[in-house]
Amino acid sequence: MSLALSLAPLAYVACPECDLLLNPVVPEPGDKAYCPRCGYLLQRPRKRSIERTLALSLTGLILIVPANLLPMVGIKIFGNSQDGNLWTGVSALFKEDMWAVAVLVLLSSVLLPLVNLGLAFLIGFHLFMHKANNQLARWMHWYEHLNEWAMLEVYALGIIVACVKLAGMAELRFGLGLFAFIGLLIVNAMLSNELDCYFFWQRIAQLTKK
Amino acid sequence: MLKKPLKTAFMQGFIRCHDCGSLLKSDPKCLCPVCGHHVSARKPNSVQYTLALIISALCLYIPANIFPIMSVTQLGVAETHTIVGGIVALIQSDMVPIALLVLIASILVPLMKLLGLSLLLLCVHYRWQVNARLFTRLYRVIAFVGRWSMLDIFMISILVALVDLRGVAQVIAGPAATAFAGVVVLTMLAAKSFDPRLIWDHQLSYE
Repeated sequence: MSLALSLAPLAYVACPECDLLLNPVVPEPGDKAYCPRCGYLLQRPRKRSIERTLALSLTGLILIVPANLLPMVGIKIFGNSQDGNLWTGVSALFKEDMWAVAVLVLLSSVLLPLVNLGLAFLIGFHLFMHKANNQLARWMHWYEHLNEWAMLEVYALGIIVACVKLAGMAELRFGLGLFAFIGLLIVNAMLSNELDCYFFWQRIAQLTKK
Repeated sequence: MLKKPLKTAFMQGFIRCHDCGSLLKSDPKCLCPVCGHHVSARKPNSVQYTLALIISALCLYIPANIFPIMSVTQLGVAETHTIVGGIVALIQSDMVPIALLVLIASILVPLMKLLGLSLLLLCVHYRWQVNARLFTRLYRVIAFVGRWSMLDIFMISILVALVDLRGVAQVIAGPAATAFAGVVVLTMLAAKSFDPRLIWDHQLSYE
């Protein structure tokens, strides 16, 4: 808490969605500050945002390994069984020459979640250690922009729909990879909830000024 | 907690950095001291970019719905499904909730995004006096739901990988999958390039 209080108060802030000039407020952790004109969520401070970001991103980086390597869903049709994980979908699409779709699926379900967790870990680590790095602002920039393109939760819904479709014609098996994936999903959701971008940018500004 | 509204930052001679949110004195072509990015009062050429992306998405929306998105072979009988056909098949096999989910994610959401963004662009271009708060909310909904359209693509990638028994049971992705993926990506980019502050700029009264 002492850290949040020691921040130099900015003269003004502007709402990113309606450009209203506002006096900055410092809401308590757990409270929210909305723009009075357009209702944009300006700030939602969290308790121990940096520590939790660090812990959750590390957990995510560990969980992403089994989620990618172990089989998630398997089916059995006419005696033949086939296992699938995040990669088999991509490689099957590649084999059918659907490379554009394959690349999109690869990016949004494997690579970008990994990159995002890595960036969150790097940023969290540097802020936790009070270590300045001239790449910090760039990492934060990429984290914010790539967050939208990492679509683990949409993929989870895709698994559910695919399983419902297959349930009628084949026997389904769920592997350990699926549980790791669900864990990763929960950790990812918690991470984006705990990472307070406004506070992170303030800390990055402080660190780069020194 | 917030004090009474002032005018917009731009009118008062400030520019908000798009990335880090620091407020800077208006000075075109300057770099943000915190994050080093170019700052501009509004996203540059926002309307043009958004319009171009919407038109491209609209062009892809037609093949995405006409061509088959996947073909399912069962016991040697091949059957092709379009997006709508897949939903009809789900309803026929009594899976109405899932059918509704796919209907929302792959038909209603892209359509709503295209229409909604066009409405926002018209509003900005003709300087309509509208309930700007409502329009900003519409923009937020459009920006939020965009990614959920990928549901169909992910489902196909899972089916293609799992059901791969040549001749007996096989799922093959169709040409519409590429077109549909294009629609999703382009509409997401369109929503990202639109600047909601433009809605507010032309309002004469802030109600």
